[in-house]
Amino acid sequence: MSLVVDTITKRFGEIVALDGVSFTAEPGRIFGLLGANGAGKTTAMRIVLDILRADGGTVTWKGHANADVPRRTWGYLPEERGLYLQMTVIDVLRFFARLYGVPSREATADVEDWLERFRIPDYRDRKVQELSKGNQQKIQFIAAILHDPDVLIMDEPFSGLDPVNVQLLKEAFLEMRRRGKALIFSTHQMETVEELCESIVIIDRGKVVVGGQVRDVKRAMGRQVVRLATDGADGTDGLGWVESMPGVSLTHRREDYLELHVQSDTDPSSLLQAALERGERVTRFEITDPSLEEVFIEHVGRPAEEADERHLAPAQERT
Amino acid sequence: MFGLFPNAWTVTVREFSLRIKSRAFQIVTLILALVGLGLALLPIGISALGLDEPSSVSVYSAAPEADEAAVALVATLNGMEQITLEAEIATDEAGGREAVEAGASDGLVTVGRAADEDLTFDLYTGEGPTSPVVFGVTAATNQVAIGDRLVRAGVDPSDVGHIFAPTDLDVTPVDPNAMDEDELFGPRYVLATALLVLMFMAIITYGQWVATSVAEEKSSRVMELLITAATPRQLLLGKVMGAGGAGLLQYVVIVGAALAGLLLQGAISRLILGENVGEPVELQGLSIGVLLVVGLFFVGGFGLYATLYAALGSTANRVDDIQTITGPMIIIGVAGYLVSFAALNAPDADWVRLLSFVPFFSPYLVPVRMVLGQVAPWEIALAFALLLIGAFLALWVAARIYSAGVLLYGQKAGLRSVWKAVRVNR
Repeated sequence: MSLVVDTITKRFGEIVALDGVSFTAEPGRIFGLLGANGAGKTTAMRIVLDILRADGGTVTWKGHANADVPRRTWGYLPEERGLYLQMTVIDVLRFFARLYGVPSREATADVEDWLERFRIPDYRDRKVQELSKGNQQKIQFIAAILHDPDVLIMDEPFSGLDPVNVQLLKEAFLEMRRRGKALIFSTHQMETVEELCESIVIIDRGKVVVGGQVRDVKRAMGRQVVRLATDGADGTDGLGWVESMPGVSLTHRREDYLELHVQSDTDPSSLLQAALERGERVTRFEITDPSLEEVFIEHVGRPAEEADERHLAPAQERT
Repeated sequence: MFGLFPNAWTVTVREFSLRIKSRAFQIVTLILALVGLGLALLPIGISALGLDEPSSVSVYSAAPEADEAAVALVATLNGMEQITLEAEIATDEAGGREAVEAGASDGLVTVGRAADEDLTFDLYTGEGPTSPVVFGVTAATNQVAIGDRLVRAGVDPSDVGHIFAPTDLDVTPVDPNAMDEDELFGPRYVLATALLVLMFMAIITYGQWVATSVAEEKSSRVMELLITAATPRQLLLGKVMGAGGAGLLQYVVIVGAALAGLLLQGAISRLILGENVGEPVELQGLSIGVLLVVGLFFVGGFGLYATLYAALGSTANRVDDIQTITGPMIIIGVAGYLVSFAALNAPDADWVRLLSFVPFFSPYLVPVRMVLGQVAPWEIALAFALLLIGAFLALWVAARIYSAGVLLYGQKAGLRSVWKAVRVNR
């Protein structure tokens, strides 16, 4: 009952763009596809959409091969934004809806509804070229969902949006999830992923380095993060003793608290106990899982943002 | 049909309506229609401005012994076949010169007789050495001088005219089907040439439109949305039909304006000049059947060429690349065009018959054969069927190139990288 990508492989000449990539996305869930630029995210999406053919492996939706599934199953927001600039917003959207077999009247009502949600109802009859980039992006999102697709695939949907529009788009995501759609999106903003995604996969150089439910991925790091602060006179400098504890390592010394990694075979609460035994007055003690940012760095070897620096470079072949 | 509709139609409607609604399309169509109309009405304009009045020459006899020769020269000048000159006797040499200087007359010929009794001629004119006036006067004076010498040598003056009478040359061609001179440059020949040029221009111009339009969709990145929503074949067919439809509309307007100008020439000239200019235009050889066949072969030929144009357009990175990339198409198009020009002079030759079944050539050759030579209905039907098959094959090949080409960004455009992508992509 879900979208299953099973060991897909894709070569472009000498370059191996995807090497045995597998993941599963469920209806009513939001799935994050993470990776640096050139990792293979866009290629994977294009293969799912059947606009590229894989050299090996299969993609199925509810048990049917993706090539046999009706086109209107898929909604796609490509990374490279593009619309017909000379046409009006309503005409462009009706055109794409009609390609998916949606009658114009139905499409018109939906378009008006979505323009309202995105707070741009006045742009209905404006030419696309008169809209800002952010608003064009919202129009493109509407183009991707007007035909009510079961699977929504979005390539870097948040890039280039201001905070207000990011919020509007997140709300749209949640609305689509509420309607039982399977959402897949790629991004390098780990916070957004933490906020929205239930499952993820991280791809590096065409290979899946880690994937699954976000909670499990974090647990698999084999450690927990503890943030500790006391009201001692020396501030965090007086807490040097924590480093001598087995299974504990100091990762970040801040003025307001220490951040520590605790191996999973060590009980994090033993830290609190040790502090109390030493007579420290603990003002902060927090146990959390590692952030996705840490997960990413651990597996890819560099931060997602940095890895994506070439993002704004002029058009290159997306692999 | 083949899973092409209704999406191909949706693409067609968008392409067609956006194009004909664009200001550029409307202005260009209007200007070209006016140019077509203007060219058709050119003869009226020329006669309204008096540019078509025949040159006039006056002849002055400087001596009584030359009077007879002067009269003969006037008669010869007025009777010339290749050149229309109006000649008359001038009674006053100074007045004649003034008339030439004032532009009222194009030349003054002064005839005299030298001491050896030979005639002398002097042409006073503002015209250049290659002008019809100088040419005509040279020929006429030669004839008069020779006639004069013959009479002085004792030939009966009544026989002189007979001596100058033109011979009657019969030409028997080796090929009994070869056209005689009248046919060769007659109205049918003109019609065939016109159809050929119009067909060629339509295919090249509107084929280029298709390529540019595809390249624009690619460079504006709307392409990725399109190929998710529709198949390459639907997109290609829609694009070709939409751009082709708009092109055909533009063409019909332009050619229609010119045709209307030609047909209404008589009425318009009566209205403006009060008289009929030239002979009424007869579109000899143009029938409903010819128009129908031309229309069908335009549709098929455009379909064939334009789908390939679209495929090439999909390999461009920028719209600027189009000129370079569509080079091969222009070579094929020009080849067909040149072959057809050769065929104009031998419409029933075996090689023409053979080539008129080849899809790339049939849109040019079948109309030519139909207007100038003999072509059986089954030949037309077969050529058209082959053209349609060719167009569908082209659509299939083009769709392969297109689906690979539209996703290639940043690579050197060209058939080699596309071929690689086509192989990789399936």
